[in-house]
Amino acid sequence: MSQLETFYEVMRRQGITRRSFLKYCSLTAAALGLGPTFAPRIAHAMETKERTPVLWLHGLECTCCSESFIRSAHPLVKDVVLSMISLDYDDTLMASAGHQAEAILEETMQKYKGKYILAVEGNPPLNEDGMFCIVGGKPFLDQLKHAAKDAAAIIAWGSCASWGCVQAARPNPTQAVPIHKVIKDKPIIKVPGCPPIAEVMTGVITYMLTFGKVPELDRQGRPKMFYSQRIHDKCYRRPHFDAGQFVEQWDDEGARKGYCLYKVGCKGPTTYNACSTVRWNEGTSFPIQAGHGCIGCSEDGFWDKGSFYDRLTDINQFGIESNADEIGTTVAGGVGAAIAAHAAVSAIKRAQHKGE
Amino acid sequence: MSRIVAGPFNRVEGDLEITLQTASGKVQSAEVNSPLYRGFERILLGHKPMDALVYTPRICGICSVTQSVASARALADVMNLSMPVNGELCTNLVLANENITDLLTHFYLFFMPDFARDTYADKPWFNDIHSRFKATSGSAAAQMLPARADFLHLMGIMAGKWPHTLSLQPGGVAKAIEPKERMRLLAIVAGFKRFLENTLFGDSLATISQLQSEAELWQWCDEKDWQQSDFRRFLQVARVQELSTLGRGTDHFLSFGAYGLQGQTLWASGSYCQGDNKPLAISQIAEDHSHSWMTNTGSPHPPAQGITQPSLDNEAGYSWCKAPRLANQVVEVGPLARQVVDGHPLIRDLVARSGGNVLSRIVARLLEMALVVQQMELWIKQIDPKAPFCHHGEMPGEARGVGLVEAARGSLGHWLEVKNGKISNYQIIAPTSWNFSPRDNQEQPGALEQAVVGAPVAEGEKTPVSVQHIVRSFDPCMACTVH
Repeated sequence: MSQLETFYEVMRRQGITRRSFLKYCSLTAAALGLGPTFAPRIAHAMETKERTPVLWLHGLECTCCSESFIRSAHPLVKDVVLSMISLDYDDTLMASAGHQAEAILEETMQKYKGKYILAVEGNPPLNEDGMFCIVGGKPFLDQLKHAAKDAAAIIAWGSCASWGCVQAARPNPTQAVPIHKVIKDKPIIKVPGCPPIAEVMTGVITYMLTFGKVPELDRQGRPKMFYSQRIHDKCYRRPHFDAGQFVEQWDDEGARKGYCLYKVGCKGPTTYNACSTVRWNEGTSFPIQAGHGCIGCSEDGFWDKGSFYDRLTDINQFGIESNADEIGTTVAGGVGAAIAAHAAVSAIKRAQHKGE
Repeated sequence: MSRIVAGPFNRVEGDLEITLQTASGKVQSAEVNSPLYRGFERILLGHKPMDALVYTPRICGICSVTQSVASARALADVMNLSMPVNGELCTNLVLANENITDLLTHFYLFFMPDFARDTYADKPWFNDIHSRFKATSGSAAAQMLPARADFLHLMGIMAGKWPHTLSLQPGGVAKAIEPKERMRLLAIVAGFKRFLENTLFGDSLATISQLQSEAELWQWCDEKDWQQSDFRRFLQVARVQELSTLGRGTDHFLSFGAYGLQGQTLWASGSYCQGDNKPLAISQIAEDHSHSWMTNTGSPHPPAQGITQPSLDNEAGYSWCKAPRLANQVVEVGPLARQVVDGHPLIRDLVARSGGNVLSRIVARLLEMALVVQQMELWIKQIDPKAPFCHHGEMPGEARGVGLVEAARGSLGHWLEVKNGKISNYQIIAPTSWNFSPRDNQEQPGALEQAVVGAPVAEGEKTPVSVQHIVRSFDPCMACTVH
């Protein structure tokens, strides 16, 4: 095993100044909710730890996860993370092509056997022996299994890799499955969302690279630091929900006043994600702020729970917290069990999600 | 004759493979394959029509807004609904925001890095281009990425999130713009304009958009040192490498027309071939399955009656992509097609002289950025925060509708049929389905398949660099192509 550079050395080599590096450490500490005293610890870890190689594979997908990550993140954070993971293999961005690229993948896997992190965007289809997604002449399923074999851990980027997402929506013509259905012997960190928020992606990967371990996960395998609260819990329109003030249709008077979007189909009360706190496009906004309800895109099977535009009108009474939560729980229906799991103070430490 | 399978291609959106037959150092013929199929058209069946607004953007995480707009327009068509002016302005702004970031990304991250390859190490321009555009370490990306992220704040404000926004609706937008937000939008566009003028063009957007001919383009280029701006850098490379001789396509162009406002479009719709400019004839669009892994229906069929039934039994099949044709002709779509059809003098002149090729495609792409960003400022100023942003309508039980839009990469159409209040058919033809289609029942190769014929292949090249330039000059989006 050859000696790897430290993260800090890699960053300096890529032209990131020490000042930017320290600023990055502060931003990261804040993003991870760790407080300013953690910044020096992050800096120390990065100065002394060997760089962890990351392989980034794409299956059946729309590339929205990569795009969210590379287009929307804070430029400094993104630069640093990109330089850290060095994109040893990522077919959207890498400099090489074709057979040369395939060779780099093999070389990285051999050289860092058991040490690299495998990041997967998209998922494998099982119908027709995997013919619906061919990478380098072979089914993506084969590439995925091959690359997973010697990985230290796997990150499932987005709802495709985590839950199956749109191509797995009924009737799932290609029989696309989330990666935990085919990889059962590795820790899988699920970062769901369609796509996930850029800052959540950088936060998760930075945590793993900096501290060299998997972040604390909930029972479904999602990092608790970003997926432990419902959109509804921290929604800035929440007071209007509690006051029973609702938008009835787009651009009506209630919409102009910023009322709650629950009656036009908002799934914020049953969706665990960081949209209402971290927000999108460098904290600019999120779907609810742009006048449309949440569709619950980070939840398992969100496609198959009825129309996204069904109006919810069966609310009789509001005004107090317990009722609001009751509404949330009722709506949850199929995911009720998941909510119970969240509500409980989890005893699971560093859960390593293993398939079912 | 020898056979090369080129791929997987990096720096294109999605998966792509091309089988090349080569002889005497040149490509003789090509078969392009999109090796990824998900089945959107089948997943949409039986859903409530409005749900298409949530499903279809997921066809593609890069052109997601254009998919939203096409599906909103198809829905508006079945509902017989029109937008208030504010709705049109906001839709145009969000669409322009995505299209421009796509054009920009293509130039800086996908196209130019090919010239930083070691193959070109002996070229006089190499050192500068290498330090500027080398993938993941070039200095250009460090300037372009923050400018792009800042520019996307417009998307954040108007559409909540990107990709896969939800605010675009058949009758307008869910987000009303307040006066203070309008000021912020102007500031965002002004900031981006500064980046384009200082870094990309090295001149004002007005000057770039008023270039009238190829002669004026080169004259403009030579007014300053070629390292003065990224556009001049590209032109210098294009001149030395003779990119205008590379990747000539069918020279038959199609555009659905772009950026509608009050019954007018900023750019005209239609088709253009050898000086002949025709109005858009939607009824002449049909899709052929002869060489697709789809159930072969025998003859091409219009998308409104289209079916998408994958089948690996078709022995002549080599791609998941169908072959869309306009009046049985192969056409090219994209920024070049849009500007030719609309009649921009610089682009018409370039095409008259040397047709559609790597040079003219890239020039058209950059020119569009200059044209649209100036327009965005005007649109923002026209938003009236007090007027309506969205109209409402009823979904009929039975109806048919079409939604047409121009994505960064070209013409995108959604064909929707509603029966019993549910989606009974949904067919999508994406820009790269046109450009990267396989052969049809008359054995006519698709636009890219024609464009790579004659491309030089050096001894031992596995994925010929000339083919890479041509492929990327179309800016393929494989996620959209087969959906």
